Amino acid sequence: MRETPVLEIKGIKKRFGDKEILKGVSFALNRGDIKAIIGPSGGGKSTLLHCINFLTLFDEGHVYLNGKEIDYTNKRELYAYRQKVGMIFQDFNLFDHLNALQNVQIGLVRVKKIPKAQARDRAVAELERVGLKEHMDKYPAELSGGQKQRVSIARALAMDPEVMLLDEPTSALDPELVGEVHSVIQKLAAGGMTMILVTHEIGFAGSLAKEIMFMDEGVIVEKGPPRKILYEATQARTREFCDKIIHFHRGGDESR
Amino acid sequence: MHFSVSAGLKAVVEGLPYILGGVWVTLVVVAGALVMGLVLGTFLSIAHVYGNRLLRMLTGIYVWFFRGVPLLVLLFLFYFGLLGALHLDLSPFLVSIVVLGLISSAYQSQILRGAILSIPEGQLKAARAIGMSDTKAIATIILPQAFRLAIPGWSNEYTIIMKNSAVTYALGVAEIMARANHVAARTYQHFWLYLLAGFIFLALTYIGTKLLSLLQKKVAIRGYAR
Repeated sequence: MRETPVLEIKGIKKRFGDKEILKGVSFALNRGDIKAIIGPSGGGKSTLLHCINFLTLFDEGHVYLNGKEIDYTNKRELYAYRQKVGMIFQDFNLFDHLNALQNVQIGLVRVKKIPKAQARDRAVAELERVGLKEHMDKYPAELSGGQKQRVSIARALAMDPEVMLLDEPTSALDPELVGEVHSVIQKLAAGGMTMILVTHEIGFAGSLAKEIMFMDEGVIVEKGPPRKILYEATQARTREFCDKIIHFHRGGDESR
Repeated sequence: MHFSVSAGLKAVVEGLPYILGGVWVTLVVVAGALVMGLVLGTFLSIAHVYGNRLLRMLTGIYVWFFRGVPLLVLLFLFYFGLLGALHLDLSPFLVSIVVLGLISSAYQSQILRGAILSIPEGQLKAARAIGMSDTKAIATIILPQAFRLAIPGWSNEYTIIMKNSAVTYALGVAEIMARANHVAARTYQHFWLYLLAGFIFLALTYIGTKLLSLLQKKVAIRGYAR
């Protein structure tokens, strides 16, 4: 029997006014799958991730978690689903008035209703997992970009997600801070976390993901193993994009 | 009547305990109005930022009305007009708190609205993404930050309400201005007694703004400058 995917999306369509951003996107992730989405800006990658979490409501399509379709109009179901699907944002979105520990703890206390002391222990453990235990008393404004992103990963992990959606997790970081976030994501991968990673770091995507999906103009143009997509793509658009970005990455140190 | 410093000071000294008694009345009116304004203003600001088109329109009309009509007109409208029409019997004191509170809620809603809008939108998204309802996210993530950002605006609002509370003497509320007026009418030392009233208001606005700036320092988020 075929395995039921952890997360499956079918025919997601979204338009903003006249512009169709997503033109029917479908894919499925089995437990432990890591898929990377690459493609030019404005191609709908970020919108797609936001749609999967219903942070942006789509016009048509279906989302299934463990085979069960999510009815976002049922608030209770929606909130439970969002806990299972961790979201990492490009610009971290930490809660500015809470320190690192409280950022991780608040979901446990306010959403999962775990007693404070117990939530604190869990939050400390999650911060330790991302290597930030000694910074847990610091406020977001006192942390570097890389540290902020690691806190946001800890915050998502504390909710026990079954899937993580990472929306360009390192694109807002200074180059020297990218590595620390990548290594946390690699650790998650090694631990078997199911993930969708939207990124421009194709080298990282290639080393992490089993499958890369190339997305442009609201559709998944092509998907396959990293080697195939990056170097032997069949679609001209994919080839053109990958050539450019590979060349760019090799081209110079001053650019990312 | 000639201008006499000694007669003026005598009137001031003799009238002082009575006039200072009005400080409590003023403080209760101002505190009552500010608290009422804060509670109503918080709901109004949330409706204005997160509400649907109808709610936004209704809060807009509310704010437009209470910001646009003079305090004295509203006091008379409520006390002599509305109470009679509704066959209600409320004291001028209560009506003053309510009217000042309604006006303050309009202003405070706009102070808070600005504060809410200056918080990066992503924080609300992040709160939703960990499974919070919008209500919970607004209460635990947005408002604690918005209240901090609103303190300078509140400081301003406090001084305005403090000064405007003097107008309630027109309904017969025995606050600072009304009492200074009584003593002046009896002693004919208007200059000195109004000067005294002015200094009392000056002291009250000074103390209040100092306290609010202490509060602002106390609740400031470390490393956070905006």
